[in-house]
Amino acid sequence: MKTRHLHPETPGLSKSTRSFGVALALASVLNGLLVVVKEKSPAVQSALQKLTGHHWITHSAIILALFFLVGWGLGRLNGGQGIRLTARQLLATLVTGVVLGGLIIVVFYLVGD
Amino acid sequence: MIEIILMAHVLFGVGCPLATLWVFVDVLNASPKNLARIRRLSLAAAASMWVAFLIAGYWYVIFYKADKAVILKGPWPFAHNIFMETKEHLVILLLMLATYLPIAAAGNLTANRDARRVVLVVAALIIGLALTAEGSGAVIAMGVKMGLLAR
Repeated sequence: MKTRHLHPETPGLSKSTRSFGVALALASVLNGLLVVVKEKSPAVQSALQKLTGHHWITHSAIILALFFLVGWGLGRLNGGQGIRLTARQLLATLVTGVVLGGLIIVVFYLVGD
Repeated sequence: MIEIILMAHVLFGVGCPLATLWVFVDVLNASPKNLARIRRLSLAAAASMWVAFLIAGYWYVIFYKADKAVILKGPWPFAHNIFMETKEHLVILLLMLATYLPIAAAGNLTANRDARRVVLVVAALIIGLALTAEGSGAVIAMGVKMGLLAR
């Protein structure tokens, strides 16, 4: 017998799970959009290149910094209790963000580039 | 020696979905007995992905230029134009998911169905994306091989 079934289930998610989950969805979509922008704009590509010596390093740094900063920021909302959303809302946001972000990249390199 | 870097990124890259798969199965059977293991494995998945990402990034920035030239002159230019271009940006997404896994797994998975669902969904996304990255890597390697054979 699984021990967890002996105890009542407690609903809800931790502040970090909610905050960084939403940050992940947002960073995922922005990751895809940054791909399109830098590939279509030589000026953006060049600027990213100049910042660290390689566009991909700058690109990665921007998206990862965004993920950590937005996650941290969302965790400070509502008096430090973090962004409020249900598990269903978080999962919908997370999956939509990740799938959309991935699709932007795949479709762009398949047909748009 | 340089090729060891390339193989190491594959090794650590595979380590991430393997550890994540273990997390997935353990979370389906979450109990106080395996909670510590779930958290350790989710941390291992994240660490493995970070090491793979850093090694692969080093290879990509320093050494990939030569491979790229071979691929683009060969019969499989799509190995770079589609697969490498897509992979190098999808792995950023994969890295964020792997980083998020231990955050989601830190919850009380034995008593919280919502927390378990989040970990399961994130783990499934990691496994799917990691397999896509591994497959893309195989196509890229084949693109280099085809380019060299055509010389």
